[in-house]
Amino acid sequence: MGIDVTVKVGGEAGQGIQTVGDLLAHVCHGCGLYVLGVNDFESRIRGGHSFLQLRISDRPVTAPDHRVHLLVALSPRTLDMHLSELAEDGLAIFDSQEADAGSNVVSIAVTDMARKAGGAIMANTVAAGACLALLGAPDSLLERVLKKQFQAKKAGVLENNLNAAQTGAQAVAEIDFAPAFAWPEKKPAGKLLSGAQILALGALASDCRFAAFYPMSPATGIMAGLTGFEGRAPLVVEQAEDEIAAANMVIGASFAGVRSMTATSGGGFALMTEGLGLAGITETPMVIVNSQRPGPATGLPTRTAQADLRFVLHAAQDEFPRFVLAPTSLDDGFETMGRAFALADKYQVPAVVLTDQYFNDSVNIAQKPLNAPESIDCHIVTDADMDDPKAYRRYEITDSGISPRALPCAGQALVMVSGNEHQQDGHISETIPDRIGQVDKRFRKLAAMEGEMRPPRTDYPDSRVLLVGWGSAAGAIGESVEMLRAEGMDAGGVYFTDIWPFPQQAAEEILGRCERFYMVEQNVSAQLGGLIREKTGLKCYQAVLKYDGRPFFPFEIARRVKAAEEAIDG
Amino acid sequence: MVDVSAFHCDYENKWCPGCGNFPILEALKQGLADQGLVPEDVLMISGIGQAGKTPHFLRCNFFHGLHGRALPLATGAYVANCELPILVSMGDGDCYGEGGNHFLAAIRRNPDMTLLIHDNRVYGLTKGQASPTSERGFVTKIQPKGVRSDPFNPAALALSQGAGFVARAYCGHKEQLAGLIGQAMDYRGLSVIDIMQVCVSFNTVNTYDWYKKRVYDINEQGHDTDDWNAAMDLAMAGGDRMATGLFYKKNRASFADRVPGLADSPLAARRYDPAQVQALLDQA
Ligand SMILES: Cc1ncc(C[n+]2csc(CCOP(=O)(O)OP(=O)(O)O)c2C)c(N)n1
Ligand code: SF4
Repeated sequence: MGIDVTVKVGGEAGQGIQTVGDLLAHVCHGCGLYVLGVNDFESRIRGGHSFLQLRISDRPVTAPDHRVHLLVALSPRTLDMHLSELAEDGLAIFDSQEADAGSNVVSIAVTDMARKAGGAIMANTVAAGACLALLGAPDSLLERVLKKQFQAKKAGVLENNLNAAQTGAQAVAEIDFAPAFAWPEKKPAGKLLSGAQILALGALASDCRFAAFYPMSPATGIMAGLTGFEGRAPLVVEQAEDEIAAANMVIGASFAGVRSMTATSGGGFALMTEGLGLAGITETPMVIVNSQRPGPATGLPTRTAQADLRFVLHAAQDEFPRFVLAPTSLDDGFETMGRAFALADKYQVPAVVLTDQYFNDSVNIAQKPLNAPESIDCHIVTDADMDDPKAYRRYEITDSGISPRALPCAGQALVMVSGNEHQQDGHISETIPDRIGQVDKRFRKLAAMEGEMRPPRTDYPDSRVLLVGWGSAAGAIGESVEMLRAEGMDAGGVYFTDIWPFPQQAAEEILGRCERFYMVEQNVSAQLGGLIREKTGLKCYQAVLKYDGRPFFPFEIARRVKAAEEAIDG
Repeated sequence: MVDVSAFHCDYENKWCPGCGNFPILEALKQGLADQGLVPEDVLMISGIGQAGKTPHFLRCNFFHGLHGRALPLATGAYVANCELPILVSMGDGDCYGEGGNHFLAAIRRNPDMTLLIHDNRVYGLTKGQASPTSERGFVTKIQPKGVRSDPFNPAALALSQGAGFVARAYCGHKEQLAGLIGQAMDYRGLSVIDIMQVCVSFNTVNTYDWYKKRVYDINEQGHDTDDWNAAMDLAMAGGDRMATGLFYKKNRASFADRVPGLADSPLAARRYDPAQVQALLDQA
């Protein structure tokens, strides 16, 4: 058996829960282990209840585990809420000076010890020290990470933190913890990053030069990630007055010649739909990340969902071609951003990247190297490409539907663009031939756009039973497939990143072969399942749905599929 | 000197005969020609409304966007290429109604562009509803008992928010307007010109005659454009005398001046450098 341990640290917002998680994640990653850290928090700055759940393993992990081996409760509420999640050999550490609260609960005065080490804010370092000691890690590991983190800080900060970690470790020295393991000390695998960070890096590597946004959880992290590159790369990040402005700024910047993006969540996307339509009719490339959270309206601001698929497929009045892509992993996230920018440019259409709170806020290991492309092709024409620049027409009718795109004020060619329906030169037109000509021209791109769509990634695609999902749910589905197979079921997984234009042929081929397939989605109506049915005529046998705002656990998917299969057999 | 006719466009004009937009268009062409610009160098960004159609009737590069959204659209174009000479053409409903928030934000951001608001105190394109600048009591089909709200004061608002170039013009005084457009384009930052425009179809109150009796040129009278208080007095003065001209001018850091590196070279002009990007990715 390999290493597969889950640590859960919970407390009130403002207690530095995330810092404990970060410290542990960095220590584990630093010696070659794999981690997946999920942040769960309420929409408030202080108080309440929040936790960080870190799964540590010696092989890649792609979903949170429901069994908790080590629970660190910095507040009584954490203990109440999560004690029942403890695995059989699990242990809870409770920040208290009172006697033990149960056989598998150990009371340690974490906050008190932090105060003695220099301040209550170091409770998280004490907790990290205790966790690592229980897990059997050598002291030097945490020391290394703390040094890196606090070196630049004021004198004494590092010493106090080292001290705090030490006291934490000493406090649990006598405790025998069964899931402890031997620490491998291997070279770290890949990069430890959050989903939001990888999307920002993907944008950077796509030569994105302008990002406009209006803050909205859980999309803000992407913009925070990009802001760090202002001044180091040719990039401007601007906080707009609202999402309407953000979308229009992006369109304006793209029109004037730089790759541009915005990121928001469903409510902000609702405000951007007008701009999305403008990009559609003016054929201006733009990239919008919709980082989903449950709604409608403000919904659950800090929770996760996959319920905006139908919305982004059809958002904005009338119809126009667009791309919708939903990355399934960190590696896929980096690549998907690159494809979104490239495809938007090539076809002069908007590209929507669908992620969610779970994807954005959790940390995991990006395994593939992050490579900057050698060159960026923006598909822009100049006077030199034209026989007669003065005769240039932005919306020239072409066989491919793609008209040559020139930039304004870049030469003799006048670039005229209108959100009103237009003639080929860009001037407003209401004639029937212009209207039909332009609509048909825009839609002629679809065939080639469909050709760009990649088939879904699969595990064991020739199985009798397939579990089908999209975007961030892929990780949990993948692990549930392994669980089902371990129990003898002939099960496989199908994970869509490319959703629109829908990769119909690939979907038909894969799903047409199995005996039954299950949709696994974080919405209430199996939105992708509906799309599959509409496009292929294939109907899922059942849907495993979760819409409580929390990410899927592999075991709950496996359990529900197993129950359904047993009902058939029985 | 560039000939005004270079800006002539063959595309059929769709404004009503006698509309105040015609003299504004003429003044605009004159102002651009006086700047020595050619159509290929000019970018006009507009919103929706009769005013928003202006670039279709002018030879230039343009982006005719959404109702109320011309300013963010133009700001994006400016961030991408801060060397573009950008003019923004909007109506009063467009700029002060649908786009009010963007108007405030543009003043704060101070991108280098010239904002022309064709202020006819009515919604022209949608056939005569009240606009934010309609006088209280102004009667329309939708407001048969008269407008209930007080009018928006563009110049006073722009001044109060720290705009660095605030002017008011009248469509009937083409030369003055052309001169103001020239000064506005020379100004580094957002220049706001509220242009009192006559709508012959839907505004029977604020007619050419009505304006003729009231407008006067403050710059001819020796107004001090450094004096913010005097400018505010002019903006607030109501009634029978309506000041036109440059109310206030003050140097402010433009948006490009506030973003390190942007003023040196436009974003759109930078070369993609894979080595630089790779170095940043490796540090992540
Ligand atoms: C989002 C949106 N809302 C409403 C309209 C309808 N609409 C078109 S022009 C206009 C107002 C025009 O008035 P104004 O901005 O004063 O310009 P004018 O036509 O008088 O020049 C409105 C409400 C629209 N096109 N888009
Ligand atoms: S409706 Fe008024 S503003 Fe519009 S074109 Fe006619 S006169 Fe001009």
